[in-house]
Amino acid sequence: MADVITFVWGQAGADRAARGLLGAGQRLAESLTGKLRVAILGKADDSVVSAFQTLADGVIVLEDELLSEYHPENYLAALIDVCKRHVPHVVLLGNDTYSQELAPRLAHRLGGSAAGDAVDVAMVDERVRVTRGVYGGKATAVIALARTPGVVWMRARAMAPAVDRAPGEVERVRLGIAPDKRVRVVSRNVEARSGARLEDARLIVSGGRGLGGPEPFKQLQALADAIGAQMAASRAACDAGWVPPSWQVGQTGKKVAPELYLAIAISGASQHIMGIADSKVICAINRDADAPIFKHCRFGLVEDYQKVVGPLIDKLSRQK
Amino acid sequence: MNILVCMKQILDPEIPARDFRIDRAKREAERGSAALVANIFCENALETALQFREAHGGKITALTCGGDKAEDVLRKALALKADEAVLIESGAAQPDPLFVAKTLAVAIRKLGAIDIVLVGREAGDWGAGQTGGLLAEELGVPCLSFAESFEPGSEPGTVRVKRQTDNGWELIEAIAPLVVTITNHEHNVPRIPKTRDVMQSYRKPLTKWNLADLGIDPRTANSYYEVAELYIPRKETSCEFIAGDSLEAKIDAFAKRVTEIMHSI
Amino acid sequence: MNDPHLATREVFWNINHAWLMYVLLVPTLAVAGYGFYLRVRIWRRGLSETESRWDRPGERILLVLKHALLQLRLWRDLYPGVMHAMIFWGFVVLTIATTVVMIDYDFSIPIMRGYFYLVFQSFLTDVFGALAIVGIGLAVIRRLITRPKMLVYTREATIILLAIFAILFSGFLVEGWRIAATDDPWSAWSPVGYVFALVSARLMSVDAMRVAHATTWWTHLLLAFGFLALAPYTKMAHVITATLNIYTARLAPIGANLRKINFETQEKLGIQSLAGFSWKDLLDFDSCTECGRCTAVCPANSVGKQLSPRDIILDLQRLSRAKDADFSKSYLGATGALSADSMWECTTCAACVEACPVSIEQMPKIVDTRRYLVMEDAEYPETMQQALTSVETRGHPFRGTAFSRVDWARGLPIATMADARDAEVLLWVGCGGALVERNQQVVRALAQLLSKAGVKFAILGREEKCTGDPARRIGNEFLFQQLAQENIATLERYQVKKIVTSCPHCFNTFRNEYPQFGGRYEVYHHSEFLMKLVREGKLSAELPGDNKVTFHDPCYLGRHNGVYDDPRELLQVSIRSTPLEMAQSRNNSFCCGGGGGMSFIDEPPDKRVNQARARQVLETEADIVAVGCPFCMTMLEDGINACKGNRDTKVMDVAELLWRAQKNVEPLTAET
Repeated sequence: MADVITFVWGQAGADRAARGLLGAGQRLAESLTGKLRVAILGKADDSVVSAFQTLADGVIVLEDELLSEYHPENYLAALIDVCKRHVPHVVLLGNDTYSQELAPRLAHRLGGSAAGDAVDVAMVDERVRVTRGVYGGKATAVIALARTPGVVWMRARAMAPAVDRAPGEVERVRLGIAPDKRVRVVSRNVEARSGARLEDARLIVSGGRGLGGPEPFKQLQALADAIGAQMAASRAACDAGWVPPSWQVGQTGKKVAPELYLAIAISGASQHIMGIADSKVICAINRDADAPIFKHCRFGLVEDYQKVVGPLIDKLSRQK
Repeated sequence: MNILVCMKQILDPEIPARDFRIDRAKREAERGSAALVANIFCENALETALQFREAHGGKITALTCGGDKAEDVLRKALALKADEAVLIESGAAQPDPLFVAKTLAVAIRKLGAIDIVLVGREAGDWGAGQTGGLLAEELGVPCLSFAESFEPGSEPGTVRVKRQTDNGWELIEAIAPLVVTITNHEHNVPRIPKTRDVMQSYRKPLTKWNLADLGIDPRTANSYYEVAELYIPRKETSCEFIAGDSLEAKIDAFAKRVTEIMHSI
Repeated sequence: MNDPHLATREVFWNINHAWLMYVLLVPTLAVAGYGFYLRVRIWRRGLSETESRWDRPGERILLVLKHALLQLRLWRDLYPGVMHAMIFWGFVVLTIATTVVMIDYDFSIPIMRGYFYLVFQSFLTDVFGALAIVGIGLAVIRRLITRPKMLVYTREATIILLAIFAILFSGFLVEGWRIAATDDPWSAWSPVGYVFALVSARLMSVDAMRVAHATTWWTHLLLAFGFLALAPYTKMAHVITATLNIYTARLAPIGANLRKINFETQEKLGIQSLAGFSWKDLLDFDSCTECGRCTAVCPANSVGKQLSPRDIILDLQRLSRAKDADFSKSYLGATGALSADSMWECTTCAACVEACPVSIEQMPKIVDTRRYLVMEDAEYPETMQQALTSVETRGHPFRGTAFSRVDWARGLPIATMADARDAEVLLWVGCGGALVERNQQVVRALAQLLSKAGVKFAILGREEKCTGDPARRIGNEFLFQQLAQENIATLERYQVKKIVTSCPHCFNTFRNEYPQFGGRYEVYHHSEFLMKLVREGKLSAELPGDNKVTFHDPCYLGRHNGVYDDPRELLQVSIRSTPLEMAQSRNNSFCCGGGGGMSFIDEPPDKRVNQARARQVLETEADIVAVGCPFCMTMLEDGINACKGNRDTKVMDVAELLWRAQKNVEPLTAET
């Protein structure tokens, strides 16, 4: 029996990422003629559990109190425990930071192989093959995992979502993991964010080095507000301290998949493009006609953003 | 505190796209005229270590595993005043992250008494992002990822790490030894070495080991995973540059396009 | 009748105890001498110069004649030119006149007689004395009423003017009273004295005149001797220091003005304290007369930035003269002229060096300070750091470029040196030409012109590396020398003898800087080379051109290397009319703002040098401004785009303009 397990976050619920992940899981389980189980990490209320029930063959709810807050070693122990109980052939996770942190270690402990940032996963010649961008997005690699289980973290939002089926079983488990003694979470700071998370945003306004400082981002925020978009930034702007690091989009940073990504004063280095390649439509405002960003755009405006953003806000507010 | 910084040398991630070529048969990127540079996150890691040492003291060892030019990375680390540098001459063409982690682990155990191992969160070439986690497993120590900085913890023998999460940050304390993967932040932008230090770095000693010294079999280089295919995807988009008689007309047209998309969602 | 051949006057007439004058001369000269000794003592604390400042005396004497005697640089502004010439020549003539008296009286050689006495000693001396007073008057008006920004307003400066006036005026009083009291038969030959005499005769008795004469004579003496004694302690020392500074000036073109560091032997890299300066640098500080021309022409200063070459020199002057000056103390301040911030505003255009009437070299001292900041301190603007890191790893400063070094040549049959067997000329493309899209069109035009003219040329292609100019100007001399050695080795491998380049920075580095490292070539800027081909009949303009074109002199071609005419002639050929001259052109040109690493800096929006120059371009109402440099191209296009409003002014390279004038050519777009 070659089964698939996906790990999702209870707090996020059956969001687009989870659905994409389960979509990939469904298709993989089918090609393996095995079962798809989804294990929920962290607190999950009943509505979340029922939502997942129709997307997988089985839902595993972990009831250990220890797991109510994220702790890397405890969560790793939980993942290992679940995998040891169900012995999956493939384990799927999203590409959030916690999953990325846990996946390689999980693979190692289980004697398997991991690969990540996958845009596709498939079984070929009985091996798990993972497709991902490399070299800053300039090339695509297909990685063949040599050991079992294959642990893959995915760009879940870009995957075709799971289809609803007959509800699967719910298994409530208390793993009884011993709390780790080496690591202690001292404090956690969550930024007050109005609106959706960047990865889930459908509209994004993003600023880059060309803005020259933190002040112009306020204008971009006004533009974002006018169309109900989330704010993001290139790595250069984050490195300069103009915006918080959580706004960073790119090879290292969020991978976003909005309907519209508006890049303002961003040159479009391939590392940035890697973070936005899944966008439906990319458009840009940049005073340099040769900026590489335009090669990835559906449409663009070659102008100094300072001349454009103000009037653009007016026009867009009126057209709402 | 004994700090070890792992550094990787990679093909310049900023070579122009049209100069970037793949050898499809060998499934690797062609060197061509591209420069070899230190991975930026490894440089962030070294900078984090240097700042720690300035504030709290300690010893910094730079370690790299690579081909014959990898020494340049260590010279740069020495120019930035790393205390020691160790080169593992690997020859393996396309080692998987587990092979690298195993090699580094053997070397680290050989160096003895390391309190904290810093690794870049991922490399700018393959970007696997696994070396840190796998190395921690090989060493049997905890791993904290995406850190921007660290300082001594509240108890002796512990380290407090500030690391980034999807929507903020966390402060986590761990008992040394441990592995920490470092990500970029406005405060760990790599510093520039002083010229005199650059000149002197060439005279500083470098420890060199090869795989045989470490008892590593190069034939296991792909026992974790291998590259089945490597290719450059074709690009299909062509951009429509908004035109107009005046700036206002152009902004108008641009706004129209944006609104169209918003209404189609 | 009085015989003119016997005309003379009685020296020391009406003066008793004239011997006192000779006695007073002793302490005067002692005090003055000590003053000079103090100056020399400062200079002697300086390090030695790496290149001789005393060789080729013939050329040096010529410089002294041009700049110390004729003061050609002062004539760029008419008012101060006239003003200073009047005072200076007045001084010269009066000094000669006094010497004549001494020769006649003390050495008993009777030269102060006859027509010489009448024409020179009486007439010319009076006229020049009067002119000197007019000159002082002009100076007083300038200093007290007009008050131009470039001057330094000190009490000392005003007192000096008043003292000179007092000396001159008292001299005329003395002369007037003598003429009146002795009923001098030759009075008409001293027109000013004559007037003074007439007035006095109406107002005073002869006895009163005698008393006044004697008193004023002694007053005049004390004033003159006082002035002489104190001169070396004030900016009046420039009489000697300026002459010396002009004599020891650098004979090589401005483009060769940066010192080479020997990294094997040099202990401290760059300069941040007085101890790092040479005797010539210290002499530079001492020669400054506070005229302010350097700051007035500084493009950075003119757009409101802190940089002020005048204040750099004067602050260092003050520090070097301080009592018990600690030469090892850092002169860098947090703000002001000697702050790191102001050092980073310099475009190295050398307008300051060109403008200085006493041949002070301000710009190299800024680069020397940058060398310290970059190599010893490793603290400098981040965008410059990124540019140099890119130069170090990739061999070019244009991080993020989408182009390789050969993309510009797509579709053109251009061989690389590795392949070409019979290339006679190396076309050095430069980083700007290869990697910045707008400049690629310039290089394409140039290459096609060279092909059309039948020049056997080749390029280095991917083997080209940055010449190191940005590294050297930003202050990383170490990186510069590494690049120089690598490039020279490559050129050696291909036995390169002739180089043509479209970048004046590369041009300057090959011509003036690589020889310091053993690389010697025949180097041409493309405007020079194209003009050569035109003169040889190999190229011409086949189509009519534009009428309203103006030329912007690149600093590194013009001021740094004295090439002003070839690009203008080339333009003339290309557009078949005379190009318009901007008000600030040739050696007085205004920088585009891109040199010295400044094209890698984000300037504050209201302090952009390129926009200031763009406005000057737009004032000419030209349709096209022609350039000869990839940096000027970028900076002026940006500047004009920001300032042009509804106008359609374009920026084009001189090569593009000639190429456009060829029949049957493709449009100027690179196939990328």
